[in-house]
Amino acid sequence: MRNAFFNSLYQVAKSDDRLITLSSDTGALVLDQFREGLPSRCINVGIAEANMIGVAAGLAMSGKIVYVYAIIPFVTMRCYEQIRVSVCCQDLPVKMVGVGAGVDYSTLGPTHHGLEDIAIMRLLPGMTILSPCDDISAAALAKVSYQIPGPVYVRLDRSGQPQVYTDSQADFIQGLNLLRKGKDVCIVSTGRIVNTALQVAQQLAKASIEASVIDLYRVKPLNAEMLMSVIKQARCVATIEEHSIVGGIGSAISEILAEQGQSYRLTRFGLPDSFCRQYGSRDYLHKLNKLDSDYIATAIQQSLLSKVR
Amino acid sequence: MAKRILNGPSAIKEVSAKDSLVATLRNKAKWVRREVLEMCLAAGAGHIAPAYSCADIIVALYQGGILRVNPKNPKWPERDRFILSKGQGCASLYAVLADMGFLPVGELRTYCQLGTYLGGHSESNVPGVEAFTGSLGQGFSIGAGMALAAKMDGKSYLTFVLLGDGELQEGSVWEAAMFAGHHHLNNLIAIVDRNKLQAINFTEDAMKLEPLAFKWEAFGWDVKIVDGHSFEDMLPLFRGLRARNSDKPLAVIAKTIKGKGVSFMENKIIWHFRIPTGEEIAQARKELSI
Repeated sequence: MRNAFFNSLYQVAKSDDRLITLSSDTGALVLDQFREGLPSRCINVGIAEANMIGVAAGLAMSGKIVYVYAIIPFVTMRCYEQIRVSVCCQDLPVKMVGVGAGVDYSTLGPTHHGLEDIAIMRLLPGMTILSPCDDISAAALAKVSYQIPGPVYVRLDRSGQPQVYTDSQADFIQGLNLLRKGKDVCIVSTGRIVNTALQVAQQLAKASIEASVIDLYRVKPLNAEMLMSVIKQARCVATIEEHSIVGGIGSAISEILAEQGQSYRLTRFGLPDSFCRQYGSRDYLHKLNKLDSDYIATAIQQSLLSKVR
Repeated sequence: MAKRILNGPSAIKEVSAKDSLVATLRNKAKWVRREVLEMCLAAGAGHIAPAYSCADIIVALYQGGILRVNPKNPKWPERDRFILSKGQGCASLYAVLADMGFLPVGELRTYCQLGTYLGGHSESNVPGVEAFTGSLGQGFSIGAGMALAAKMDGKSYLTFVLLGDGELQEGSVWEAAMFAGHHHLNNLIAIVDRNKLQAINFTEDAMKLEPLAFKWEAFGWDVKIVDGHSFEDMLPLFRGLRARNSDKPLAVIAKTIKGKGVSFMENKIIWHFRIPTGEEIAQARKELSI
């Protein structure tokens, strides 16, 4: 996914010499193209993220469009206050690109997990949050991020496989895509775990439960109107995200549902409110944290059996 | 008297031919301090002493003919960049910008009051204010980015960042110092307002900065030390900056006195954020009378 994103961004950078990339000693391979083709506009600023954001702000105030790249905790939490003040208060075209959604870095432990990023970036006024689920959406959202005039946070995975989208012409402007239609449950997901949402829908279909699946590729600003138009067609709602259960898309959607004037049954699936000190494969960590398709499909079935709405 | 102050020091008296630029700048600095006092008194808020320690430096840069800026075109692309990274000293900057015509002098007394754009930390909505600062350390990295942009674009403008000495305790300052040294940003000038005080302590008692010049040198910078209240000392140094023959950025350690200009505020910890009351007001006005 990160390769697809940066390959697409490279095409933009070739035609716009205002585009600069900064990394804090990250991107050994994915930035190779920039380093070789546009060396003066691809700078490793060293392991110093607070300064990286400030330098990005200064460049942006001088007419540049700046992409800063690091593993998620380091390009969000480590330099959060610099993003808040230097970038967001001044509404600058600085794009924070983080890699390693959820427990993507499953062997590296909580220092490298991206569990809180959606929650904290969602708080920042003027911030757009983009969250591709595969290579095609990552490539498309690279171009979308460039066209947005203000600050953007892009949440990436290392891998963009398996593909969710088959059509590279798919629309990535509205904020979400309806991947599958169903009248029983509307599943909203974001990022690579959209694949799990689709698997859940398939498993539910075997039990004659029809599920919609929404890819919420833009978490902020959230297209509430379009989202509600799909949700209203189903009997209940579920959110699936590889993020802390606190503050992510489950929280964002519950805020919207709470203001609808009628009640909706919402079940949220995400990583628990704890640090994941287990190690191993990503699938293993998902299973351990009840974020695998078998668990989620069963839980949704049980939810539907109980009183709806 | 009030009307004269509202019209700015330029209107108070035109220096006669025999008066030196230094005398003019001294007058302007005194007016700035008086205006800062009245702004803070009207608001019942603000940082007076931090604004006083850097007032002469700001006057020297803007009104001593050092910075290339244009009040009629604040966003002129070729302008020199000045960032007040110690954003709490902004009252002096606002006063200087007003005196130069970036904003009406009459608006200064709205500082920190209902509906104003003259915020209590360097507010980039104010014409001529380059960057939004107040969270210490951040303005310095922004300045490094601007200096880098000038290099990338082959522009000749200089970037000045004025830092508080307490601000140097922020780790990101040294990230930026390392960055600027590494990238040979010789178009970047950091001026340290070395008043030896921070909000609630002396710097050397809270977390010592000395040997400060050595630190900057170790990070790849040239260092100059000046008296930050002496125009005779500052102007020759500042005038030579454009012709400086070095591939290193320059740190100017400006020795200053916090609260400079009002005797009872000078070098006193308590005055970081205090506003004078009662007899203190009359005394301050008397000492700053022009």
